Amino acid sequence: MLKKIELKDAVGTKLAHDLTEIRPGEFKGAAFHKGHTVCDDDLCRLQKMGKNHLYVIDLAGDEIHEDRAAAILADALAGDGIVWKDEPREGKIKLLAGKDGLFGVDTAALAAFNMVDEVMCATLHNHTLVKKGQLVAATRAIPLIMKKAPIDRAAAIARQTGAVLTVKPLRKARVGLVITGNEVYNGLIEDRFEPILTEKIEALGSEVAAVAFAPDDDNLIRDAIRSHLDRGCDLLLLSGGMSVDPDDVTRQGMRSAGAEEMYYGAAVLPGAMFLVAYVADVPLLGVPACGLFHRITVLDLVLPRILAGEKIGKAELAFLGHGGLCKDCEECVYPHCPFGK
Amino acid sequence: MESFEVLLKSSADAHGHLCPGQVVGVRMAMLGCRLIGLTEPRRHDQIKRLIVYVEMDRCTADAVAHVTGVKLGRRSLKFMDYGIMAATFVNLENGKAFRVVSTEEARDLAEAYAPEIAEKYPQQLTAYRRMPDSVLFRVQQVRVKIDDCDLPGPTRYKVPCSRCGQVVRDQREVIENGRMLCRPCALGGYFSEAREVTWPDMNWKPENGLTQSRKAANVTETNCY
Repeated sequence: MLKKIELKDAVGTKLAHDLTEIRPGEFKGAAFHKGHTVCDDDLCRLQKMGKNHLYVIDLAGDEIHEDRAAAILADALAGDGIVWKDEPREGKIKLLAGKDGLFGVDTAALAAFNMVDEVMCATLHNHTLVKKGQLVAATRAIPLIMKKAPIDRAAAIARQTGAVLTVKPLRKARVGLVITGNEVYNGLIEDRFEPILTEKIEALGSEVAAVAFAPDDDNLIRDAIRSHLDRGCDLLLLSGGMSVDPDDVTRQGMRSAGAEEMYYGAAVLPGAMFLVAYVADVPLLGVPACGLFHRITVLDLVLPRILAGEKIGKAELAFLGHGGLCKDCEECVYPHCPFGK
Repeated sequence: MESFEVLLKSSADAHGHLCPGQVVGVRMAMLGCRLIGLTEPRRHDQIKRLIVYVEMDRCTADAVAHVTGVKLGRRSLKFMDYGIMAATFVNLENGKAFRVVSTEEARDLAEAYAPEIAEKYPQQLTAYRRMPDSVLFRVQQVRVKIDDCDLPGPTRYKVPCSRCGQVVRDQREVIENGRMLCRPCALGGYFSEAREVTWPDMNWKPENGLTQSRKAANVTETNCY
């Protein structure tokens, strides 16, 4: 429990919590830290900060201080790839990426966690690519002193599926490209897909292991897929032939190559005609022609998730719909925009 | 105890329909029993060790009663008319008691746990299956003092109402100026304007069998006293 004492009686007592000072446009931070012993010289500054009373803590057996609570919460929230230090500042603990990778949030568990009174956790968006050391979330208990039971319950909620927050490293894939289309295959136009896809793949730390060109013939597309798989490619990207034209036979080619699962259509613009299929465990991504025109498309949302080991199916493609509309800005600032969030 | 799915099926059959309240009630009962250390509450050796207080008369109450086997007539089911989605599970053997409260936030979180379902009740039905106990419930350890007159077993106390003569059991009488009265006489009842009546076929008894034409008891003013 907290006891309120007058400032003039506070000399010699230890501060119960960090005292935040805000000087507009100049400074916001802890002017005094928890545990600091108040001395005569501090009184003037404390008065300037508007403090005429201070709290002295007298914890009951079932109560807990905000700093201890924050550590319990951080420990429960942090999963693989998340690091944090038990050094709360103003009651908050920061959670950082412990490695490069894809930041993951169990959004249902996070919502349930935040529904518990007196605790909070704020995070970056789910599926954000992060670098080691990057701030990804912060948590705190709201009151200075609280009962321990709700903190323990919030911690249990955070652990319901292991942990709320994770960073998964991206695997280094050996990618096979299949560039389809008679116009490219016959040399009528120059292919521009290969350099675009290669750049995106390499930017995520994977490599293009093989490139094949195929005309709009499902048998030859099938053979190209088979050839890549035989050479050990563990991720295939197929460009073109994804729309509804009679010449668009990429899907048939994938199916005859052995694709059992196939999800055609994503709730994203650009990228509605995107396709995800699987031959055994190897993902096949069908990239529609919009990938040639737009700098950022559905592929940029899905590829990191595939490389982080996520299985992408009908639900995952459907749930992209909210936030899946690119604003097509004159100057693209992705990922610093709402697209895919 | 049977599995959740088996219990849910039988509970929904007994209740009349499958609804979100059934899911919550079955899970509430499973959790409550686990907390007080009863693994087979309906088995003969455990049934007498359990008393459950339900705090609402909603679908959830039926599911709790079904899973635990507690019954009003056995005095193992107590109805506390609080209008709260909660039930308290008491182990009579060791006095352990836990009050399991269904959280209001679970309703708000249904969309987060079953985002692929748009309709409210199907979404709740699925979400309440998916949520862990920690989200669906809050639990309090409580002390429940049970008077002798509320325990299961033979009737220990009987007194006649000194006004109407009705026998009152289990110390539910009201003492007014030193006189024992039944509650309707002392405090007024949930009913009013009570008048004793006769009805057609008043002398029917089971041995008369089904052949007797059972008429609806059309009680009219003419055969009322």
